[in-house]
Amino acid sequence: MTEVKVKKESTDPVDIENRIKELCQQFPQGITDQVIQNDMPHVEAQQRASAINRLLSVGQLDLLKNSNGLLYRLKDVQSASKVKGSDNQEKLVYQIIEDAGNKGIWSRDIRYKSNLPLTEINKILKNLESKKLIKAVKSVAASKKKVYMLYNLQPDRSVTGGAWYSDQDFESEFVEVLNQQCFKFLQSKAEAARDSKQSPMVQRNSSFATSHEVWKYICELGISKVDLSMEDIETILNTLIFDGKVEMTIIAAKEGTVGSVDGQMKLYRGVNPIIQPTGLVKTPCGLCPVFDDCHEGGEISPSNCVYMVEWLDF
Amino acid sequence: MTTQEVRLCGLLLQEHFGDVVEKVGTHLIRSGVLNLRALAHETKLALDLVKKSLCVLVQHGMCTFGAGRRGPAGPVEYRISCERIIHMLRYPRYIYTAKSLYGDTGELIVEEILQRGQMTMSSTVKTVADRLTHNMPEGQSMDYSEVVSAFSQLVETHFLQRCPPVASAGPSNSEAVDPPPPAVAPSEPENHPDCYRVPYINLTGKGKRRRSSEDGEADLRAAKKAKTDSNECGDEGIFWQVNFERFHLHFRDQAIINAVSCKLDQTSSEIVRTMLRMSEVTTPANAAFTQALSANEIFRALPSNYNIARPILDQYLTLLVDDPMEFVGKTGDSGGGMFVVNLHRALANLARATLESVVQERFGSRSARIFRLLLRKRHLEQKQVEDFAMIPAKEAKDMLYTLLSENLVQLQEIPKTPDHAPSRTFYLYTVNQLPTARLLLQHCYKTVGNLIERRLYETKENKRLLEKSQRIEAILASLQATGAETTQLTEVEEMITAPERQQLESLRHHINKLDSSENQVDETMFLLESYITSTQASR
Repeated sequence: MTEVKVKKESTDPVDIENRIKELCQQFPQGITDQVIQNDMPHVEAQQRASAINRLLSVGQLDLLKNSNGLLYRLKDVQSASKVKGSDNQEKLVYQIIEDAGNKGIWSRDIRYKSNLPLTEINKILKNLESKKLIKAVKSVAASKKKVYMLYNLQPDRSVTGGAWYSDQDFESEFVEVLNQQCFKFLQSKAEAARDSKQSPMVQRNSSFATSHEVWKYICELGISKVDLSMEDIETILNTLIFDGKVEMTIIAAKEGTVGSVDGQMKLYRGVNPIIQPTGLVKTPCGLCPVFDDCHEGGEISPSNCVYMVEWLDF
Repeated sequence: MTTQEVRLCGLLLQEHFGDVVEKVGTHLIRSGVLNLRALAHETKLALDLVKKSLCVLVQHGMCTFGAGRRGPAGPVEYRISCERIIHMLRYPRYIYTAKSLYGDTGELIVEEILQRGQMTMSSTVKTVADRLTHNMPEGQSMDYSEVVSAFSQLVETHFLQRCPPVASAGPSNSEAVDPPPPAVAPSEPENHPDCYRVPYINLTGKGKRRRSSEDGEADLRAAKKAKTDSNECGDEGIFWQVNFERFHLHFRDQAIINAVSCKLDQTSSEIVRTMLRMSEVTTPANAAFTQALSANEIFRALPSNYNIARPILDQYLTLLVDDPMEFVGKTGDSGGGMFVVNLHRALANLARATLESVVQERFGSRSARIFRLLLRKRHLEQKQVEDFAMIPAKEAKDMLYTLLSENLVQLQEIPKTPDHAPSRTFYLYTVNQLPTARLLLQHCYKTVGNLIERRLYETKENKRLLEKSQRIEAILASLQATGAETTQLTEVEEMITAPERQQLESLRHHINKLDSSENQVDETMFLLESYITSTQASR
């Protein structure tokens, strides 16, 4: 009778770790503790736990939590190599910054999430920056605030401000130039329509320009170094509306026609102001900066008004 | 009555009627309603002076009287109306409108009635005919019937109206006559059934040319006493006054038509003009929109030189309705489409454009952009203002704070917590059109007061020079009349030196400029006042 020798599985810790790694590779989305237990029933819970801890500390395993319990996942080798040589705290901080994606995270938020003291955080951040793993980006909303994000990520629009900001400075001249160009385009279209002397309905319809047409015109003009999207052009056209030079209507358009968004198209048209500058502003009093201080018999009065003297001699 | 209104009324009364009337008038404005004795006592003037001033004010329709608080048995109380006094600023505009509509005859009729407050038809006709004849070349004279027809036209289009009959006063007739109503306000002129009926007067003849020989005495007599020979003409006791409301409606229509022609084109403004003309007498004043007119009626009423085809007219009407300014609205489809002119909406748009233009001229076009943005979007946070207006944050903040300090923009707090902690409160910027319009109206009153004062100051400074030039002119005129030689004339002319002549010239230029700017500010005042009354009426 052959002795049935129960082959004792080696309880070598390294073997356990390797087995766990293989299991992780089998299930790339992660394995639970239950799976490990099923695979290696003879391994005691304590040994299992110590193996997992070792893998975690070395950085080859990722610990995740889902609704059922804890998941272990094999960490990407490359990223594992990156933080090799950093200690746990740095890895934790790095993790938090990575999770913040391309919006970045503020140092105070890092502190809250990691519960580390401020001095530690600063040291770690400096360390990571010198290793070129993270970078600091100034936010346009608050110019003193610095958000941290991974080195190779593009900052999000909300942080840099999008096309109108370059290096955290609002580009007013760029906006002004675009403003004037759009207005000229719409105005010339309106003039052409007015001179065409067709029936009034046709005249009015031909004086309209869709936002898509304006966008194409601006792109072709090539005055912008940055690529502008149609929403950017629409914000510029909105400022023209607030200047009172342009009016907008929305019409329903078939899906699929060029430039339509959700079945609608925005049309813009240059208009004239409905009144001339009003009578009050043709007098010096209408524009006077000290209007409220002016009284007969006072230091400032109509009788000795300097502005009046100049205006009368004009 | 605000301070500025009282100041402006005082200046106007002083300029047109003199110091005594000004004193009585301003005191009455400040105190509200007073009776004669209290008024005389408080102004410390002689009783008959006060009586005469009140007569002047009543004659011009600025002061009304009636039974006082103690009922018909008590003393009569007098009340003054600020509005009517401020309308005096607008007299040149009324006269100009009458001239453009009815020619020189209409102009002189309105001028005479404005000058005297109330006049009978016959005396008006005679005076106007005389004046017109005076300006005509020798041998021609103005026929009374022409003036009568011009007068009738003015009455038919409601520019002139009869003065309301005065309630009989005095307790002695109280048995015979119905007691006057306890309210102090007299009957409105419109309530009188014969308000616009031209009386039959047998007035034939022509205007008399005033001979230069009659100059001296006759002139004085005529100036001091109005002609009292209306008995022979059959219209004694029927006095006419200018219907200011009608003129205001006309101005309002003009403003709307100009706005339409600026925004759209000439033809659209003609269509709107036709619509307004058709509803002139059917729409009550201060209505929010005119009576509904069908497209057929509009087509038939268009002026003949505009001959546009019917489908084109329909297109124009559709365009007017679709315009974001909403001047014209469509209320139904019968008769080819029923259209109304949105008067209240048009006035609101005009007032809004006025506010925007003031902000633009005073603070610059970027502040105007922020102002328009807030008007459109109602409530916005600081950050949103910067984003929508595309203005750098620092400059936007600066501009907003300037507008806030001038009270053109208001701040609305919305707390998140009951303790209103600033860090946990939303602060929203907003613009309210009605209070801002009122604020600007007060600015206008103050501006006109300043302009008038400046004009008086300029005149006072150069009084010596003006008197000298008047004396020289009188001497020249008398020399010319007696047929002097040219050498004597030139000698007299040289009494004014060249720099003095220049000074006189610049003075004339200044005074003209101040006068014309008063009229311009009055236009702004008119728009704002119409908007405010229209909004209050529609509430």
